Amino acid sequence: MPSAIEVRGLGKQFGALRAVDDLSFEVAEGRVTGFLGPNGSGKTTTLRMLLGLVSISQGTATFGGRRYAELDHPVRHVGAALEATSFHPTRRAEDHLKTVALAGGIPLARVGETLDLVGLTEVARRRVGKFSLGMRQRLQLATALLGDPEILILDEPANGLDPQGIQWLRTFIRNQAALGHAVLVSSHLLSEMEETVDDVVIISQGRLVLQTTLADMAAKAGTGTGMRIRTPEIHRLAEVLNAIPVGWRQTGPDTMVIDGASPEWFGPFAAQHQIVLYELVNERGSLEDVFLRLTHGFDDANPLQAGSGQSAPFRTPGAAS
Amino acid sequence: MIPVVRSEFLKIRTTAVPWVLAGIAVLLNGLLILVIFLSQNYGGPGDDVPHTTQQLRNLLGSGFQGYLLALMLGVLLITIEFRHKTATTSFLVTPRRAVFVGGKLITAAVLGALLGVLMLVVALVGGGLTLWARGGSFSGLVHQIPAVAPGFILVFALFALLGVGIGSILTNQVAAIIVSLGWFIILEGILVSLVHSAYKWVPTGAADAASNLTRGGGGGGLHLTLFDWWQGGLLMLLYGLGFAFVGSLLLARRDIT
Repeated sequence: MPSAIEVRGLGKQFGALRAVDDLSFEVAEGRVTGFLGPNGSGKTTTLRMLLGLVSISQGTATFGGRRYAELDHPVRHVGAALEATSFHPTRRAEDHLKTVALAGGIPLARVGETLDLVGLTEVARRRVGKFSLGMRQRLQLATALLGDPEILILDEPANGLDPQGIQWLRTFIRNQAALGHAVLVSSHLLSEMEETVDDVVIISQGRLVLQTTLADMAAKAGTGTGMRIRTPEIHRLAEVLNAIPVGWRQTGPDTMVIDGASPEWFGPFAAQHQIVLYELVNERGSLEDVFLRLTHGFDDANPLQAGSGQSAPFRTPGAAS
Repeated sequence: MIPVVRSEFLKIRTTAVPWVLAGIAVLLNGLLILVIFLSQNYGGPGDDVPHTTQQLRNLLGSGFQGYLLALMLGVLLITIEFRHKTATTSFLVTPRRAVFVGGKLITAAVLGALLGVLMLVVALVGGGLTLWARGGSFSGLVHQIPAVAPGFILVFALFALLGVGIGSILTNQVAAIIVSLGWFIILEGILVSLVHSAYKWVPTGAADAASNLTRGGGGGGLHLTLFDWWQGGLLMLLYGLGFAFVGSLLLARRDIT
């Protein structure tokens, strides 16, 4: 599959700070690539280098081999919705889009179309200063879509959206990929993107940690899958489990998690040993755990949040699976 | 460049800037003419009707100092993008930052000229009313338009260009306003009072010369030497474009975060 975006050995030095270091990854056409990393890991800097807003210290960042500034009418090829971009408060939504359309060589008819697409038609004549955060996010998306670009770059687009808004955003992003467009979407929360992305690029402290498919990452997370059991006979269950090669850990006075187990195996197993069960829950190891483990809890904004026991150690799945 | 300029016009039209500046321009020039109207011995003791060529030209050009508003127009045209963080979108649409500055320069020149025209219209209406009330000759005032208007409008356009030049270097709006007004209201005056010969070289002196485009003469009773109108205009243009050139180079290196 051809690459829409290619980043090669990209680096950015801000004074003494190495914000991005030797970063390489690709974004494929027709797929959604999640660009993930904790706050302060260099995501926004990378995206801004890609778009020519921040100068590049080392390496290259190109669209089909050309730098952003070298593209003819860049907004017709690459649509970007960046964080901390703003609108002039007295300008009406419609006029904001017209200023972009005029300078970007885009037919003015697209203004109404994109407003419609993001559901802002009714407030087209309203001044942007009166917009809520969610409406601004939608206007950002409309700005990005104006030139009907084949590549979309979205920086934390879910910020400020309510649950319905996030659901809408997911559908919207999937539709873009279905049209064959390449979508690069950044987030500091993998869980937010889990249902949306095909590929993941994970960075931490400005360096690439992993580029892979979501399926591959899910397989990694799968090693953490298990059954959560609640039983009044926890000690007897422990005894019978110790007799077979399966990992388990007690998580409460009457609860435990059995690694890699499935209900199809455990149900009959418990019946065979006549163990009373109150609860039997299939517990998937979350992608978030893998993400936190990979990024090692290097969250500059929130150093204590990650790596504090949430990332349970992975055990080899037992014979049960 | 034409699409960029069209976008610039829409951008500035959809902010309060041009309307507020035009309002201030009308108000100030109106007040100035009211003062002229109320002054009983205009044109000397016992003479309250402007009638000499110089008096009529002064009346028509009464809003000349409004070039400072044109300067503000230019400064605001560019710094507003940084104040409201709309520069990010502008640079995504127009990644070449020199083109961005170029669009601002053209827009500023046209809008500055329009501001000059507005000042002349106010002077014509206000001055006309003054003359009518005093039994003076309105046609005498109208006859001074060819002598006054071209240089007047040129100076307004040049000051707007200079504003963009300053704003492209000092993108912080407050800093740009303080520095530019500080220079024109305070520092330049101090410099000229110390070194008279510096007057023709500073922007105000250059603009003063450029305003003589079709009027001839000059100095405005200041007894200071001036360049020819075209030399002054060229010098003023060089100030504006020079600053804008430096500003473009700085902007090209600037990280927009």
